[in-house]
Amino acid sequence: MKKGILCLCVIASLAAQTGCYSTRPSRGGGQVAGTPGRQINAADIALPPGYRAEMVSSGLTFPAAATFDDKGNLYVVETGYSYGEVWKEPRLLKLDARGTKTTVATGGRNGPWTSIVYHQGAFYVSEGGALEGGKILMITPDGKQKALVTGLPSTGDHHTDHLVIRDGYIYFGQGTATNSGVVGPDNEAFGWLSRKQDFHDIPCRDIMLTGENFTSENVLTDAPDDVAVTGAFSPFGTPTKAGQVIKGRIPCSGAVMKIPLKGGDPELVAWGFRNPYGLAISPDGRIYVTDNSYDDRGSRPVWGTGDVLWELEEGKWYGFPDFAAGVSMTGKFRVPGKDEIKPLLQQYPGSPPKPVAVFAVHSSANGFDFSGNPAFGYAGSAFVAEFGDMSPGVGKVLAPVGFKVVRVDVKTGVIEDFAVNKGKKNGPASKLGRGGLERPLSVKFSPRGDALYIIDFGVLQMTEAGPKPLDGTGVVWKITKNKKP
Amino acid sequence: MKKQYFLMLGLTIAMYSCAVRKSEPISGQVVDASDPRVKNGQRLYHAYCYKCHPSGETGLGPAVTSKPGFLTRFQARHGMGVMPAFSKDQLSRKDLKDIALYLKKLNKL
Repeated sequence: MKKGILCLCVIASLAAQTGCYSTRPSRGGGQVAGTPGRQINAADIALPPGYRAEMVSSGLTFPAAATFDDKGNLYVVETGYSYGEVWKEPRLLKLDARGTKTTVATGGRNGPWTSIVYHQGAFYVSEGGALEGGKILMITPDGKQKALVTGLPSTGDHHTDHLVIRDGYIYFGQGTATNSGVVGPDNEAFGWLSRKQDFHDIPCRDIMLTGENFTSENVLTDAPDDVAVTGAFSPFGTPTKAGQVIKGRIPCSGAVMKIPLKGGDPELVAWGFRNPYGLAISPDGRIYVTDNSYDDRGSRPVWGTGDVLWELEEGKWYGFPDFAAGVSMTGKFRVPGKDEIKPLLQQYPGSPPKPVAVFAVHSSANGFDFSGNPAFGYAGSAFVAEFGDMSPGVGKVLAPVGFKVVRVDVKTGVIEDFAVNKGKKNGPASKLGRGGLERPLSVKFSPRGDALYIIDFGVLQMTEAGPKPLDGTGVVWKITKNKKP
Repeated sequence: MKKQYFLMLGLTIAMYSCAVRKSEPISGQVVDASDPRVKNGQRLYHAYCYKCHPSGETGLGPAVTSKPGFLTRFQARHGMGVMPAFSKDQLSRKDLKDIALYLKKLNKL
């Protein structure tokens, strides 16, 4: 009898902690009342013993990535675009040792500039292409620009992402148009559906659909009761049938593609990603990819799937839109209180590989780099910038997730925090009322590998009206190891 | 009975209040995974648990560092609320014990 009561108490105790998920509010890092400010204090960043942080440059607007030229000078790109439909001028800036900024090149209204690599006398930049489609640009040090490829399918939720250069080719990531393969009202909330009403995900190879369709509010008309029925890989309001084949083509969405260094038509490397944001080459020459996973939003919401670090294998299919981190979503990852997830593809192009590591749900694991210098430590580990959750827009979290830099042992998949904000709770500096990390978007090791630069996008508040970025709050941080710990 | 009820209530409150950050930048240490069982628990934790309880902290789910091992094992096997249950095919009894052992080490940092 007593044992039974104790058992009931244990169950009640567990239920008290977990059963009330649905009634608990979202507490995302960007959910800050009022207008958050940006304090800057490197001492508010916690690091493993023996490391120190310093601020290199501040006052940047939406910085995304960094590179070094052959003389060791530091360059940064500002995106020129942020979620929340905020448009600025994309810029390539040179930062000197005192943090002074010199503009090398500027772009048009087709951001975000997401990535930059310096290679043999020129800069190579990914232009996200939210308005005109994605591009890869070559920019000379005197600011002259040449588009090496244009018309990448970037006018949806996700853009043309990071690039790396290997063996005479530029490898780059291209995100999907949607959350999980179906255009819905969430895409209007992103801002693109009205201006690109026919846009949708494009498969890289022919696919056969199950004919699963989704009924939603018709956000393209003013009629209050108008509904739209939409199928996978199709424009908003276009239903599909079982057995229907969608022709694959290149360039496609949710893929890593490559072009020759001098430019040319894109070639497929691998596909079935959702948003392959970060690419980096390991010290042993392999390419790895960070892939932002599904959100709880839109006509086909998905719950509880973590971002992924993959090793890039040529020709492989990585599972979008029916797998998460290599696991079939059929009957799993259902949003509490909503419908089961059903497959969209009737036949799969292959079996997705096993992930290298799975990050926290909604952490937004983005730009990364490998430590190659034993003097810095953790040689061979990947250092990954976690932009942090965009809750509640992407789904609920019980506490801020991300807003830090983690390191990943690519042999074991073990993830350890490397740079986080001090304090009893995790979160962006603006929420904690401190002066440390806000939203790390990428990291880059110095040419000698003795310093890690963190490119911190700055404040991105999540309001009822959507994301609200704050100009001039971006920072570049530098992490070094003390010679005498 | 009242005593047991208050004990469980206290345990629940303690589990919440004691859930503190344990990662390397905060504690200055990492889990010593030289013990193969701890190493196995660490690997499995990162494969199955980390995404909702990053570094043992609150994320999509609640913090787990300060839970007693038997509760961790019970919850992982049976699921509760929105948390999925992990079958014996996914995580054996020994695997669950290894995960609990890893969390115990993490909690001690």
